[in-house]
Amino acid sequence: MANIMKEKDYKYTPELPEEFKCKVPLPGTVQAFVTNGILREEITIDGGVSLKTHSGNGFIYEAKEGSCCKESLQVISFRNSQNTNDISIENELYFRKGSDSSLLLCTHTLSMDKFITQEVVNIEVEEGAKANIVVMQNEHNASTHKVDFRLSVAAKACIKINVITLHGALLENDFNVKLRGEEAVCDLNGLYLVDGKQRVVTDISMNHLVPNCLSSQLFKGILDNSSVAEFTGRIVVAPHAQKTEAFQANHNLLISSNAKAYARPQLEIYADDVKCSHGATSGVMDQEGLFYMRSRGIGESEAKLLQQLAFAYDVLEKIDNERLRKRLYDLVESRLRGEFNHCENCSMNCC
Amino acid sequence: MLKIKGLHASIDGKEILKGVDISVNAGEIHAIMGPNGSGKSTLSSVLAGKETFEVTSGEVLYKGVDLLELAPEERARQGLFLGFQYPVEIPGVSNVNFMKTAINEQRKYKNLPPISAAEFLKMMREKMAVVEMDNSFSGRGVNVGFSGGEKKRNEIFQMAMLNPTLAILDETDSGLDIDAMKIVAAGVNKLKTPDNAFIVITHYQRLLDYIIPDVVHVLFNGKIIKSAGKELALEVEERGYDWLING
Repeated sequence: MANIMKEKDYKYTPELPEEFKCKVPLPGTVQAFVTNGILREEITIDGGVSLKTHSGNGFIYEAKEGSCCKESLQVISFRNSQNTNDISIENELYFRKGSDSSLLLCTHTLSMDKFITQEVVNIEVEEGAKANIVVMQNEHNASTHKVDFRLSVAAKACIKINVITLHGALLENDFNVKLRGEEAVCDLNGLYLVDGKQRVVTDISMNHLVPNCLSSQLFKGILDNSSVAEFTGRIVVAPHAQKTEAFQANHNLLISSNAKAYARPQLEIYADDVKCSHGATSGVMDQEGLFYMRSRGIGESEAKLLQQLAFAYDVLEKIDNERLRKRLYDLVESRLRGEFNHCENCSMNCC
Repeated sequence: MLKIKGLHASIDGKEILKGVDISVNAGEIHAIMGPNGSGKSTLSSVLAGKETFEVTSGEVLYKGVDLLELAPEERARQGLFLGFQYPVEIPGVSNVNFMKTAINEQRKYKNLPPISAAEFLKMMREKMAVVEMDNSFSGRGVNVGFSGGEKKRNEIFQMAMLNPTLAILDETDSGLDIDAMKIVAAGVNKLKTPDNAFIVITHYQRLLDYIIPDVVHVLFNGKIIKSAGKELALEVEERGYDWLING
């Protein structure tokens, strides 16, 4: 990155403006704010979870060994016009041995400036740990944001990441997953909604390094206008990684004839006793389904909306926290309706 | 209530309906029978407004209004209902949401406020009982993983919820065992009033043992070749269609 922001450039606002504070935060959630890469305050939650400032930009999240935190942490990162330089952020997430915790990462922009944000998220899931991460991305049309998730998953550990991409000029999510210990599980899911000239890129490299691991990927996108979605999903099964189970699916619903979806599933299997599958589709609206709905009195635009919501449904269903799932479902609905001030809890359209 | 005059319709340039005339009054049940490929499903699709069919001539007046000018949803909002031969699966949309959306869209059209949650639940419970549907259906995706019989019962359930003035049931009996057929028929009989009307499209006479029609039409090669009372169905059952086609 050209201009890595230095701390001295940053003008600290002592109080977070009221309008950014969610009036109805998700129950059981503790919120932390990151402004232009700087964590506003360090947080420790009873039960063994802490959030600290990274030496550069970004934060360090840690779920202590054996901890089971009932409350989940919501990290709301936003960029605003106080710093329009390109910035790099590096976050570290440690899910220590046997811990069980959930994390919600939301990213936003609060102005139409041409933000360029490059982010690395190093994720270490230690033996037997359970990590549940939901990422929600909702940025302006001038925002370019690239996130590089690097995961290392130990034996009997389980990580689930659901990425809900609602808006942004160019949003790229790369995942490099290393399943290092036997019986590790990695479940990656994503939903991206793109329109206008937006572009969403997903690049996954799922590496099964040892036997008996399970990975699954379900990425779905709804593309309107001249938007573009690219999905590259690579599954690599090492020669001795027998009994691997690895699944991948990428499905795109094209609302406009100008939208483009590129899917590149890639399987490299060097072991011989594995179960792997991949599937990629691009389709248009189901006319039979639309007619069925209209024949019940549902107007054409409402019928189209229902069909899009139905398409998004199975990815949203992967979100375990029921309240969060409901909020995201509502946000997806208002996004598809094109009325993006639907969530009136704050001005950020966060969840 | 419904007057179909000289209706011609085609798909991809191929003429399927070649001049259909039917007149249905309130309080009546009409049955349309006919061999495969005679145009029965085309007729129901055209009446419901499926855009893949092109009406080349003729007219359809429904409650005095030109039905063919209306969009499918407008027809539904004015009380027309089509029970599909092959109900469509909509994964991700629960029966509850689907019905609530449909009812509220219809209410909005009539300038009524959205239905209250309590009223809606009560209605769901009542109407599910009509077709002996289990409450677990309501949370499931529309027709997803339903058996053939369950799908057809769901059609009758939706009809009960929407309370149409004119219901067209397209081969609702196909793929049903005798018990499911009795449930479907009982549903229709419970919903029948002097103010509404039904058009029952069927392949077999069997259904008409349970839903007694006032008029039976035989459709062949895109035309009604015979209309008579309920005894016509029995005659068709006994003698087949040949005597009508060749006679």
